[in-house]
Amino acid sequence: MSTKGTRIPDWLAVPFAGITPAPTQEKGQDLFPTGNWRSIRPVYRDKLPPCNNACGTNEKIQGYLDLVKRGKYLDAYALIKEDMPFPSVTGRVCYHPCEQACNRGQYDEAISIRAVERFLGDLGQALPRDVVKPGKPNGKKVAVVGSGPAGHSAAYQLARLGYKVTIFEKSPKAGGLNRGGIPDWVLPQDVLDREIERLVELGITIKTNTEVGKDISWEDLKKNYDACVLAVGLTEANSVRAEGENKEGVLYGLPFLRDIGMGTSQVKLGPRVAVIGGGNTAIDCAREALRQGAVEVTMITVEGNPQEMPCVPEDLHDMLEEGVELMHGRAMTAVVGNGKVEALQLFPAKFSGAINASPITINRDVPAERFAVDNVVIAIGQHASLSWLPAEFKSERGSIKVDRFGRLGDTNFFAAGDIVQLGSGQPLMVVNAVGDGKRVAFNLDKVMRGEPLQPRKIAVDVLMDLNRMNMTYFPHFPRVKQTLLPPVSRRKTQEEVIQGFSEEQAVEEACRCFSCGTCNACDNCYLVCPEPCIARPARSNGLYKILVDYCKGCRVCIEECPTGCLEGVPELDFDTGVVRMDTAFAITPGLHGRQAQELINLANRPAKQI
Amino acid sequence: MGYKELTVWTRGIIMDKEGRDIVNSISASARLEGKYAQAMENYVDNPDRTNAPTRKYCRVSDTILENELTYENEHPNIVVLVEGTMVKGWDYMRGMPPGGTLVINTHYTPDYMIRFVPGAERLAQLVCVDAAKLADHKWLYYRLGQLGLDRLSTEGAAERSKAIAPDIAAPLIAAVVKSTGIVKRETIEPMIANKKAFEMALNELHILPLKPVAA
Repeated sequence: MSTKGTRIPDWLAVPFAGITPAPTQEKGQDLFPTGNWRSIRPVYRDKLPPCNNACGTNEKIQGYLDLVKRGKYLDAYALIKEDMPFPSVTGRVCYHPCEQACNRGQYDEAISIRAVERFLGDLGQALPRDVVKPGKPNGKKVAVVGSGPAGHSAAYQLARLGYKVTIFEKSPKAGGLNRGGIPDWVLPQDVLDREIERLVELGITIKTNTEVGKDISWEDLKKNYDACVLAVGLTEANSVRAEGENKEGVLYGLPFLRDIGMGTSQVKLGPRVAVIGGGNTAIDCAREALRQGAVEVTMITVEGNPQEMPCVPEDLHDMLEEGVELMHGRAMTAVVGNGKVEALQLFPAKFSGAINASPITINRDVPAERFAVDNVVIAIGQHASLSWLPAEFKSERGSIKVDRFGRLGDTNFFAAGDIVQLGSGQPLMVVNAVGDGKRVAFNLDKVMRGEPLQPRKIAVDVLMDLNRMNMTYFPHFPRVKQTLLPPVSRRKTQEEVIQGFSEEQAVEEACRCFSCGTCNACDNCYLVCPEPCIARPARSNGLYKILVDYCKGCRVCIEECPTGCLEGVPELDFDTGVVRMDTAFAITPGLHGRQAQELINLANRPAKQI
Repeated sequence: MGYKELTVWTRGIIMDKEGRDIVNSISASARLEGKYAQAMENYVDNPDRTNAPTRKYCRVSDTILENELTYENEHPNIVVLVEGTMVKGWDYMRGMPPGGTLVINTHYTPDYMIRFVPGAERLAQLVCVDAAKLADHKWLYYRLGQLGLDRLSTEGAAERSKAIAPDIAAPLIAAVVKSTGIVKRETIEPMIANKKAFEMALNELHILPLKPVAA
């Protein structure tokens, strides 16, 4: 019963039996601290969204999408820069494992995380000064060999930690695979140049045309630097070991792209080009071949159908739109021609095992197929050139042998990127190399400071899945599509194929994020609590508080939390929050005692006061 | 044996019947043994509210019980908490004379639970029994935190089953009988519906003996 609007004499004012203020009123909750009705307590505990977990460098994706949603682009850019030195690059080239893992993918369509990242990266490129500052110099010098994604990332993180970093790059331009392995129409050179400038602004020295093993030796690195990160990548193209592979007109995938990227290409393609291989590099080669003047491009793969190809489906789709033909289930056994490629000899083939890396079985019982071409590009993977490395650090699969922290034995040498990950079962992609570079930089820092190395731990329990969220709050909403240049015009130019998001598009896409397992200050718990026992000084993650004296443990907030960051924990797990009452309903003897005293005094009051 | 008071603290609606079963079966067996016994429910506590604390009382005596008008136990010798979290909530130890027994339904050990007990120095023993697990009651009590269906209904628990102690009450009765000997096992066992849980509880009690100090 409310006491509002009623004139009550002082001595009858609350608390008094029969006049119970609502809990929303002043002192209303003091009357009945119902906290001891509770057997479970709601607790805010942020969990790991699957996108963050899937990302090779564990970008805080939910975090920056939330900031974009609120229009705080600069904060979002600063957050992304904690883990990723070049969001403008990965926003274009990443194979986005985050989007494959996105919980929204099971609901309608995954969030276009890469496009939002690119929006933020482009925003960062337009800034006159970067948000990241070099760390306080600690007087230690570190050499980083290779300026590809892993080397770039390691150097960036080390500079932020205060190291004096020097990068050695054997090519005339820094960028490594970002420059040499990715065509211009995916990643324009000026975008990469700007990111390299950002590295120099951090105080990093980049020495180009310096090859380890030739211009600088293992001993030099050991002698002149406190520590060293080897991120040399895979530079040598694999051959198919076919007859006549040395004929003129036979090209290899990565060198073909690299020469074009570095501007040193002398290649003139004929009208008919075949590409051997079914991976992402092969797709880039096929599409680049069209732009280099080829008329008919055919991709020859051992895989029996497009679904089996180890590539990103979107890129495959874009390639087919541009008019590249696919030829499945064939292996090239010989290159035919008089000094120059004229045709390929093909036999039906398939992988002998279940995975694409297993040996190929060629069926030579049927007559060979002759496939007339002018050029052939072989893009079936790369391997490392490690002649400069001491033998003890070479592994049997042709990579650098490191422990689980990326360290070579107990030296101060670390290795990161494809050179470590080759054959480890992990897909070789830019973002994985960036993550590897980042982790190695942190491990190197620990070693330098004499701290013990510890593996990164993630409890599987805290990885958020869709079943733990309340989907009632999320209407179906289609993904915002990135615009593409029309296939007819783009296949002859070096212009960027995929266009970036506008501000409105980026915000719209960020708004689709479920914020899996992480509080995004939606205020739902604050609104649905039947007792007003959720308090917050401001609407923000981490500022919500449960008033444990009053929370009855009704679970409404937990059930209604859209993101699933609220969870019920058994009350007995807490030592705190004891609300002791003498009897079931009397709060304190003091309160009832006071009432009792007032009732006794009632008889002594003059009648006119009553 | 003389005179003993038993107070059961339970939660409104969801565990109301369990509390009632404990006091009813113990007083009924005491009468069968030729003693005098009373069992009362308490309606002051508002048992029709889900999760609200509710008390049930029982008195057992060798001589005739002259007190028939008050139902609250002023000096309970035995206190049973049907739901473990209640250990944090109320002063259930109020009025207990030294040498009392506290029985809690919980999967925690007595060593852990004793930190929450106010006035634990009056206890002769602290008994913990994982009744929810022994009664194998999955949907209602076992993971109380995740229970939603029954807690939101106002349906009385009695409608579910008219049997005495079909669920978590059986292990709790076993705990009371074994630790205090208020009635004999032979007299009470035939009344219990869930005999399996009753027998398992006799073997799986966690009893922490304590040295009572006069309050």
